[in-house]
Amino acid sequence: MKEVIMPKFGFTQEESEIVEWAVKEGDKVEQGDVLAVVTTDKISMEVEAPESGVVAGLQYKQGDIVPVTKVIAYILKPGESLPVDLRAGSPNSTLTVKPTLPQPEPAPAISNVTSPLGTLTPVAARMAAEKGLDTARIVGSGPGGRVTRADVEYFAAQGADNGKIRATPAAKRLAREEHLEVGLVPGTGPNGRVQEADVRTFVEKKSSTVEVPAIAATQVRDGAIRTIPFVGMRKTIAANMTRSAQTIPAIQLEIDADVEGVLSLHQQARAHAGDKKISLTALLVKTVAWALKRNPMLNSQLGESEIFLLPDVNVGVAVALESGLIVPVIQHADQKGILDLAEEINNVSARAHQNKLRAADLEGATFTISNLGMFGIDRFTALINPPQVGILAVSAVKKQFVPNQSGEPVLHHMMNMRLSADHRVVDGVEAARFLSDLRAGLENPEEMLL
Amino acid sequence: MRELTYAEALREAMRMAMEKDPSVFVIGEDIGVYGGAFGVTAGLIDQFGPERIIDTPISEAGIAGACVGAAVTGMRPIGEMQFSDFVVLAMEQLTLQAAKMRFMFGGKATVPMIMRLAGGSGTGAAAQHSGSLEAWFVNIPGLKVVIPSSPQDAKGLLLASLYDDNPVIFVEHKLLYKVRGPVPEEWYTIPLGQSHTVREGKHLTVVATSVEVMRAQQAADALAKEGIELEIIDPRTLRPLDIDPIVRSVKKTGKLLIVHEAVKMGGFGGEVAAQIAESEAFDYLDAPIRRLAGLDMPIPYNRNLEYHAVPQVENIVEESRKLVEGAY
Amino acid sequence: MVQAKTEKLIGGIFAREKALQLIDTMLLVRSFEENAEEMYSLGKIHGTMHLSIGQEGVAVSTASALRPKHDYLLNVHRGHGHFLAWGGDLNRMMAEFMGRETGYCRGRGGSMHIADVEANNLGAQGIVAGNMPISVGVGLSIKAHKTDQVVLCIFGDGASNEGAFHESLNMASIWKLPVIYLCENNAYAMSMSIKKATNIRHISQRAAAYGMPGVTVDGNDILQVYETIKTAAEYARSGKGPYFVEVETYRWKGHSKSDKQAYRTRDEIKAWMTKDPIARFAKVLGLGEEDLEQRRLLAREKINQAVEYAESSPEPDVKDILDGVYA
Repeated sequence: MKEVIMPKFGFTQEESEIVEWAVKEGDKVEQGDVLAVVTTDKISMEVEAPESGVVAGLQYKQGDIVPVTKVIAYILKPGESLPVDLRAGSPNSTLTVKPTLPQPEPAPAISNVTSPLGTLTPVAARMAAEKGLDTARIVGSGPGGRVTRADVEYFAAQGADNGKIRATPAAKRLAREEHLEVGLVPGTGPNGRVQEADVRTFVEKKSSTVEVPAIAATQVRDGAIRTIPFVGMRKTIAANMTRSAQTIPAIQLEIDADVEGVLSLHQQARAHAGDKKISLTALLVKTVAWALKRNPMLNSQLGESEIFLLPDVNVGVAVALESGLIVPVIQHADQKGILDLAEEINNVSARAHQNKLRAADLEGATFTISNLGMFGIDRFTALINPPQVGILAVSAVKKQFVPNQSGEPVLHHMMNMRLSADHRVVDGVEAARFLSDLRAGLENPEEMLL
Repeated sequence: MRELTYAEALREAMRMAMEKDPSVFVIGEDIGVYGGAFGVTAGLIDQFGPERIIDTPISEAGIAGACVGAAVTGMRPIGEMQFSDFVVLAMEQLTLQAAKMRFMFGGKATVPMIMRLAGGSGTGAAAQHSGSLEAWFVNIPGLKVVIPSSPQDAKGLLLASLYDDNPVIFVEHKLLYKVRGPVPEEWYTIPLGQSHTVREGKHLTVVATSVEVMRAQQAADALAKEGIELEIIDPRTLRPLDIDPIVRSVKKTGKLLIVHEAVKMGGFGGEVAAQIAESEAFDYLDAPIRRLAGLDMPIPYNRNLEYHAVPQVENIVEESRKLVEGAY
Repeated sequence: MVQAKTEKLIGGIFAREKALQLIDTMLLVRSFEENAEEMYSLGKIHGTMHLSIGQEGVAVSTASALRPKHDYLLNVHRGHGHFLAWGGDLNRMMAEFMGRETGYCRGRGGSMHIADVEANNLGAQGIVAGNMPISVGVGLSIKAHKTDQVVLCIFGDGASNEGAFHESLNMASIWKLPVIYLCENNAYAMSMSIKKATNIRHISQRAAAYGMPGVTVDGNDILQVYETIKTAAEYARSGKGPYFVEVETYRWKGHSKSDKQAYRTRDEIKAWMTKDPIARFAKVLGLGEEDLEQRRLLAREKINQAVEYAESSPEPDVKDILDGVYA
């Protein structure tokens, strides 16, 4: 006899609703056959038969909400029968059905907030259904990333393609030619659409002044005051950053790294990769992951009366979108090679721009990298995303004269990195050691092999 | 250069062809002593007689079939549908016979015929006599579809159509018949499948056909005073369509407006829009492609309603301005 | 008396040799269709086809009364017999049926659109009455070229109820065009009996409405059809205008390959089979069954050779798929 359990699909998921049983008791099934369709408010999933046999003892009916890992049915082998007390309708199997409740998290981590897989309030769900909106794309501002009525209204007001970068083909082409993310360009066209002229203006401005990435979905035009609803993702980011600034005593350390070594590795990797795109970010993630592994306090979380040193090194990489900042996560970054990392980063940032991120893409970061190098930023400070304890602000690679071993000036590529660390957990020495390791890894990547 | 009306240019083309080539004849309703419902064939019967300017009973299928049968046996007939709408009664001959005969016979027959359609609204002829049906024929492989917008094009395209070895649907516009323009006196042809850039400009590409070319030019004059420059392209032949000049133009202007009198839904404008979206011009589009076309309705009788049922100069002005100013 | 008349015709018009050729052509048509039917069942021919078994007499007698390749033919969908009687080459015809590049239409037309433009055979017709307006144009063309050609425009009883029938007859008549309208009345327009489809005894009565001669004759009587078409052709060639001939005949097979024939009885079919044009004409010629069987075997042999030719012919190349769409 094999138990069929309610599987856990998501990081924070505790229960699922049985939408539909695909089988009835007595049905013969093959391993892998669909037994039931279940849902976690947003996504429908299928529960498959863990092995072949006969379905027996369905423990729940359609519409029941079942905690994850609970047995929902059994698969019998030939000759087996189900014990009486496990049969459907027996006293043991009557269950109290829990209502759906938002998770009682005090405040969500940014990766959870931006997850498209938050729950919906009933009124939000009804409104979304009435308006025919894709709920997976509505960003929630309620507790636990819950989508509220205001979120649905905001989404609807933004038009059905909320979250997608609106740009004309001509604007996209020019941005491509200028090696520029079109999402960073403020659009002045209808509904904030980026037009060719916007890209041109942006390129001209960029060469003189520094632009902060466009986060607001709409821009003020013609001197008139326009209101931008302070809801949804924007509001969640605000709450999180306020919490960070108010509750985390952060220390900041910065270092200029000579990146000739890593650039040379980058060249080699690109030569090795053929058609595949290898970004410098991939090497940066690799080096950070390596340094985190050597400095576990930077890869930890603060509990009530303990500090958890986390076993996995999951590096979040901030990506600027028109609707805000999103931080896809490279899981187990320390265990992956540069080619794999590069591919994963390419995929995840493409999905971010297409608004096709999955819950798993956004969950579980243990450390974050924020890179504004593409804007020519010299140095900046990043705020920590709780419950993480560190964030690395990476600035532009610039050529600078530095003395060589004999004291003569040589022109090298340099890069500023500023670490913000939660001083409740991380001491200055630990932070300094981490940064120092990081610089060593970038300057002499072969160190990482030792 | 000497000026002729569109109708006179057509008549001159037919006269020149018939003088030169005994295989050419014209067949249709009331084209003889009556001179055609719009006077296009006026006087030809005096010169060529009833054997070559053939008045027919009210038998549109017969007219079309007569053209098919004569064409496949060595003649070059020119049929006339008195009102383009009546072509509905001849569709079987045009689409199932003329268009397919060469292909069905393994490329061993030619059907060099022209069917002239007097199309378009604006004369109070109401719902059954004002149709713009060119898109129907564009959907039929084996046919060519020609739609001249000026007297000069009318003559040159008619002569080219006559010496094309395929059946040609020649779509005229009733409002254009009296429009005057320069027409060379000599024999000349304008090759089928060659778009014509009627006017150059840098802000917006306007693809227009038939009477809308004239309206687009008037709109362009008005907009020029505001500093908005339209580039107007007349495809002249809808099948085969010469898309390249339109592609080049859209790459230059980044914006495209298509104007035709025929109904928008399923209209030829959709084809132009699709071909541009499929082309290398896509990456140069800086606004959505827009179409101005006939409303989704039969042509009304009332003068004012009729006027508003199809794109007029002011509609083109307004739509062009909006496109150029980034309203879409 | 009929017998005496036919004797006279054979003696006076047909050499016995020509009469035997007609028998052979009928046998060839029938063998061709029997073979085509078999190949269809074997899946070697696809699509559909319209068999004229039982109607072969009309084809051979009509063509023999005209000047094939000089005159024009606008054939009917059930036109295999007319195609062969017009001088069609068996091999290229079979190749067309099998969709080969060597077929008359390079495999693009098939049974329903087979044409031989060089022989003034302007093709079989997939649209009922679709060739009738075309006959007007061919007639105009003949007039313009001032030749003594005629157009043979063949259609079925069903076509007589199409609008194009009426427009065309009228136009051909007012312009005195040299067209022979040959209506093969085989009693059914697919399943619709002509008795239910019209309220007149003979379709040829309609000719009067357009001011042209119209006659109805027994389509399975070769000599009678021959004589009638001869008369019609002389009339048309002499500039008097079109002539309408209705021949009454019967198809033994269904309308097309998918016909279950629920609309007629076995007895009716059997009754018509006794009027087999081949057997009838053989009797007139005094051909014995043995002699006939000999000729049948020869026909079959030709068919087999044609199949061999077609099967060894190349399929059209897909790279040429658009050939012939435009000139």
